[in-house]
Amino acid sequence: MTTYPTGWASVRRGIRLEMPFEYRQAQEVRDAFAREGVRFLFIGKSGAILLGYPDTTQDADLFVEKTPENGRALVKALRSLGFNLAADQEGEIVHGKDFVQLKNGPFDLDLVFAPDGINSFAEAWARRVEVEGFPVCHLDDIIASKKAANRAKDRESLSRLQSFREYWMAQQRRSRNL
Amino acid sequence: MSAADTNAPKPATPATPTTPQQDSDWWAEFDAAARRPLATRMRYAFIRTYKPVLDDAPYRSFDSMEQYRAWCRDHLPDWLGFGPARDSS
Repeated sequence: MTTYPTGWASVRRGIRLEMPFEYRQAQEVRDAFAREGVRFLFIGKSGAILLGYPDTTQDADLFVEKTPENGRALVKALRSLGFNLAADQEGEIVHGKDFVQLKNGPFDLDLVFAPDGINSFAEAWARRVEVEGFPVCHLDDIIASKKAANRAKDRESLSRLQSFREYWMAQQRRSRNL
Repeated sequence: MSAADTNAPKPATPATPTTPQQDSDWWAEFDAAARRPLATRMRYAFIRTYKPVLDDAPYRSFDSMEQYRAWCRDHLPDWLGFGPARDSS
């Protein structure tokens, strides 16, 4: 694991905590990633929220295709958004970590390159859902990754998320039949 | 990339069984949310609170999700919920 501390806690407590992720920032991510050709999907609770799930979360989780080309495009896009990436961090993003937590930019992002419970980016991409131009993992993939991660906080919310999945699928069927 | 190569199979987390009343209440919430524009839903959804340890570094990276899960288990307070779910039975 690689961590860069340097007194960040006091800075974050003093300034950054007033800046949650918002629609405008999701648009900025979407547009910057599109400009650089980054292949990614919103995943996790932030993905579910984009699909309509009413709940709260603290940051955005992005499932990013793990290839060097996509990694280089991702670094360009992140820098254009204001993330401060050192050269060694750039190398890690381009060449091989499975999970990167960014709290060094205008908002927090979790970059997931190999989410639990999902076989490949290509499969998730094929099942993706577009919401106002945002590419989002299918709810079945979001649920599968939460089940496989097996975290305490996911278990607490899984029943409600699965209920939303039934609701959402019913809405999808209804809109197709209109 | 193959996530299957890097993520060993794990037992699925069973969801708590729900009652019809609970489902009905949730669907009413989902209906209410669906009537709001996405920008409004996002304004209500994304919040900021300080998470000890987790928020104390501007950058972290992990070679595998297993490594990340182990780090969460070993370093984060249990009450944050990032640790493994424990069977209640």
